Amino acid sequence: MRIGIVCPYSFDVPGGVQYHVRDLAEHLIEAGHRVSVLAPADDDTPVPGYLEAAGRAVPVKYNGSVARLRFGPVSAGRVRRWLGEGDFDVLHIHEPVSPSLSLLALWAATGPIVGTFHTSILRSRAMIAVQAMLRPSMEKISARIAVSEDARRTLVEHFGGDAVVIPNGVYVDRFAQAVPRAGWQGTPERPTVAFVGRIDEPRKGLPVLAAAIPQVLAAIPGTRFLVLGRGDGDGALAGLSPQQRAAVELLGVLDDDDKAALLRSADVYVAPQTGGESFGIVLVEAMSAGAPVLASDLGAFRRVLDDGHLGALFGVGDHVGLATCLIDLLRDPVRRREYARRAATGVRRYDWARVAGQVLAVYETVRLGAVRVGQDPAAGGLLARWLT
Amino acid sequence: MGDGFGGLGATVTDWVGVVSGWVPLMLALVLLLGWYLSFSAGRLDRLHHRVESTRAALDAQLARRAAASLEVAPVLDPATALLLTDAATRALTAGEDQAPSLAVLEEVESDLTRALRAAFGEADDVRALRADPLATASLELLGQACLRVQLARRFHNDAVAQAQRVRRKRVVRWARLAGHADFPQMVELDDSPPSGLATLPG
Repeated sequence: MRIGIVCPYSFDVPGGVQYHVRDLAEHLIEAGHRVSVLAPADDDTPVPGYLEAAGRAVPVKYNGSVARLRFGPVSAGRVRRWLGEGDFDVLHIHEPVSPSLSLLALWAATGPIVGTFHTSILRSRAMIAVQAMLRPSMEKISARIAVSEDARRTLVEHFGGDAVVIPNGVYVDRFAQAVPRAGWQGTPERPTVAFVGRIDEPRKGLPVLAAAIPQVLAAIPGTRFLVLGRGDGDGALAGLSPQQRAAVELLGVLDDDDKAALLRSADVYVAPQTGGESFGIVLVEAMSAGAPVLASDLGAFRRVLDDGHLGALFGVGDHVGLATCLIDLLRDPVRRREYARRAATGVRRYDWARVAGQVLAVYETVRLGAVRVGQDPAAGGLLARWLT
Repeated sequence: MGDGFGGLGATVTDWVGVVSGWVPLMLALVLLLGWYLSFSAGRLDRLHHRVESTRAALDAQLARRAAASLEVAPVLDPATALLLTDAATRALTAGEDQAPSLAVLEEVESDLTRALRAAFGEADDVRALRADPLATASLELLGQACLRVQLARRFHNDAVAQAQRVRRKRVVRWARLAGHADFPQMVELDDSPPSGLATLPG
């Protein structure tokens, strides 16, 4: 099958959508399909062979965080050329309503189009304002995929209709077989707690974890907090005394292997996110690596953890609850092993082998009774450009 | 008389002024209305096409599922095989020479779903069946077919919901843009796959 995938965010920076697109593309290529990914990237950045660079991404503040996007008339031209040259059987657009390549591709194409919705925060004021304008374009999507029940619900509330839920994929075995690193492994006196996520983005929850640290250290003084993520930690960690601050080790950005090793080594993985999460891929990665998970009680996390069957939950933003749960877990190796054991089987449904099979089933379903991907003649006119 | 003449002159000038002001505006409005009508007609046409093609896809997947059910019957015990073959045959032959009505289709296909659940509801039973290499392949096909029925029906109903919304718009009703096309209907049937074969989470 000839498959065209559009990713709205730049591959130069890490992010959930980019990882998903990269893994999906590589998995499909391995399965013998011809895949081309259109994404923003500098013309001179080295990119994998399947990636079609659509030009330099511009950092723009959108939906509360800075995204690196690509848009404008030059991009629209490149999108059309890519569609023409690709001659795709299926076009798979990620985040079809983000103001980037995705929207341009959706606007320019016809035929079997699959759209994957990653976010569960479509409810921005801008989105409500342009909803009516986006509708005719949205109607072109023949199959909608939501990455979680939460993402599906937001989508249906905004645009009606329905979507199938296919979760984000994880290479479970890569995490399960990662080699633990002695420096990150805990002992009963010096247990290790891992945090993964942008440090300077409050909704990722580092401030909540920081507020819980004094209570945890008071109970188990040797606890070490290993923090993986981009950004400046001074803001979130400002409230800690020098001794408490010394318990926090900022590891910066790690590559995939190191991240897997960290999750494989840590005694507990903590996910204190306070909102805006539609899936929780790191939870799945931690579960794959065998790290017991302690997560805030967000809808998306609760579903990944099977209502607390596969990991422990605490109230969103409740640092006292987080500290209490964490101390209990660190003192109870039997319960930690039990969570890890249950999670190891529960996590299989997110394995790429399974997820890519479902995505392919979607491709095959939309190809039935439809023609190939082509260019939308209506997208040529200036008037249409403004009104669709 | 001079007055009368002057009055007429003023009327003509006024009239010319009115025409030169209104005609381009009216023309613009008519053009805009025409464009909007053709845009709406194109949009509706695309949605109708999507409803048809997704329905064709759903019919194809339902037929595949029934065929896969017949395929798997020989590896089952005789009682289950009979139950499943009966349901699958009725699904395949519903309506005989013409396409079955929506209500008939929904009934026979839901019956097949329930028969499949009765046959493969227990994960342990399915695991035992998979021990037979001949059964593994046909069970895999059947599981795939069940998943594809679910997907195809979601995508069809999604298209129907959007077509219905556009059909209800005032401009579409007043300008009769839908012509004689039937008002699209969703396909409501039980398609939850048996838990032993489930491949789609939650």
